[in-house]
Amino acid sequence: MRLKLALALALGAVGWALPVLGHGVGMEHRRVSSVEVQARFETGEPMAQAQVLVYAPDDPAEIWQQGTTDDQGRFSFVPDESVPGTWEVVVRQAGHGAIATIPVSDGAGAGAETNNGTGEPAPATTEPSASSVISPNTTLSPVQRGITIGAVIWGFIGTALFFARGKR
Amino acid sequence: MQRNSFKAFTVGTLGCLALVGLAGCGSESPTATAPETEPTETASAEGDRGTLVIRANGEDFVREGFTTKDGWEVQFDNVYVSLADITAAQTDPPFDPEAGGTLEAKAEVKVEGTQVVDLAEGDESADPVLVSEVEAPAGRFNALAWRMVPAESGPSEGYTVWMQGTASKDGETIPFAIKVNEELAFTCGDFIGDERKGILAADEEADLEATFHFDHLFGDGGAPPDDSINTGALGFDPLAALATNGTLDVDSAALQAGLSEEDYTTFLAILPSLGHVGEGHCEEVRLTAL
Repeated sequence: MRLKLALALALGAVGWALPVLGHGVGMEHRRVSSVEVQARFETGEPMAQAQVLVYAPDDPAEIWQQGTTDDQGRFSFVPDESVPGTWEVVVRQAGHGAIATIPVSDGAGAGAETNNGTGEPAPATTEPSASSVISPNTTLSPVQRGITIGAVIWGFIGTALFFARGKR
Repeated sequence: MQRNSFKAFTVGTLGCLALVGLAGCGSESPTATAPETEPTETASAEGDRGTLVIRANGEDFVREGFTTKDGWEVQFDNVYVSLADITAAQTDPPFDPEAGGTLEAKAEVKVEGTQVVDLAEGDESADPVLVSEVEAPAGRFNALAWRMVPAESGPSEGYTVWMQGTASKDGETIPFAIKVNEELAFTCGDFIGDERKGILAADEEADLEATFHFDHLFGDGGAPPDDSINTGALGFDPLAALATNGTLDVDSAALQAGLSEEDYTTFLAILPSLGHVGEGHCEEVRLTAL
C-alpha cells in the first residue's frame, strides 16, 4: 500500500506578546511558523497514531523531534528557523513509511522557498554516467546536443573546403 | 603538388572528425552486461570521499519464514535476486517516488554489471546481504535505483527472482520453486527505517539497502484479513493448486498458464511493489511501462 504525506504549512509572524498575569500565574504567547503534515494511505485512510520523526538539515542523522500523528494522521511542529535548509518528516506505521521534505529559509518561515534549500550540503562536482538507471541532470536535450555537434562539424568542413579551394 | 598535399590533409582531417563523431555516437549505444561486477567511479576524485556499502535485504519474512495470509507456513531455502545497474545518488531536491518526476542527481556512483544474491543467506541475526562496496563522494545519498534482470549464470540462471523452499499447512508440505522471468526496474528515494542510511562522511562507511517485501506476494497471516497487505496479496493457495506430485515448480509462463486470469493479474501487479528502500516505496519503471 502506498502512502501519501499531505503538507500543510501554517505561517505566522514570530513575536512575543506581553505576558498576561492573574492570581500569580504567568502566561505569555507568541506566534510562530509551524508545519503540519498529514499522512494517509493511498486509499485515503489516515495514518492514525503513526510514529513521526523530524530531522533538521544540519544533522539529518539525528532525530530532532519525534511524536505521533493524531487520528486524522496529522502532526505539527515548529522548525527552528535558525537552521535553514530542507527539513524532513518521516511517518512510519506497520512496516510502511513516507517522507516529506520541507524547505525552510533563514527567518522567513517554512515553505517560503523552493526545494533548493540553502542548508543542504554542498553538491559534489560529479556527473551521472550515461548508462545510469537514474536520469542524468543535463542541461541539453539529445536533440540540442546533436544540433550542436553537427554545427561544429559543419564548421570544420566549411573551413576546410574554404582553404582547399585553392587560388583561381 | 602543394595543393594536392593540402587536399590530402583536408580529407584526412575530415576523416578523423567523422571517426571521432562515430565513436562518440557509439559510446551511447547499449552495451552488453559485464560478467563481473565492478564498481564504477563516476564521481569526481576531488573532495572528501568514503565508502558506500550497498546491501540487499529480504527482511525477516525471508530469513525466518512466515505464515501466509491463507495459513501456509513458508520457509525459504534460497531467494535469489539478480540485480543490475545499482546506482546510488545524491539528489536535490530529494527524489519522491510517490510523486514521480525526474530524479536530479548531483552525484552518483554505480555498480556495473549484474550480481545475484541470496536473500535467505545467513540467520536471523546476520546483516543484510552485502552486494557491493564502492568509493563515493561524501554527502547524502538519498536515492537508490536498480534493475532486476535474468541471471546470467548460477542456480537462478535465466530468472530475475528465484524463490525456493517449503510451504506447510494442515500436515501437508509442498517443496516449491517459483521462478520469475519478468524484468523490473526500481527508482527509490531515501531509506526509511529504524536508522538513517546513506549519510556518508569523509573516510567513513555508510550503508544503503535495496529491500524486498515478499509479504506483498504471499500476504501476512499475522495481519488482519482486511489489512491491505492481505487484500492485495496472492497468498499461497493458488500456487499450491499448481503442485504436481506434491511439488511446485513453476516459472512465469507456468503461472500464466495455470493461474486464473484474476490471480495471474494479481501476481503481475504485485511484482512492481516488491522493491523498497526499507519501508520507503519505490517507483517501478520497467514492468509498469509495458
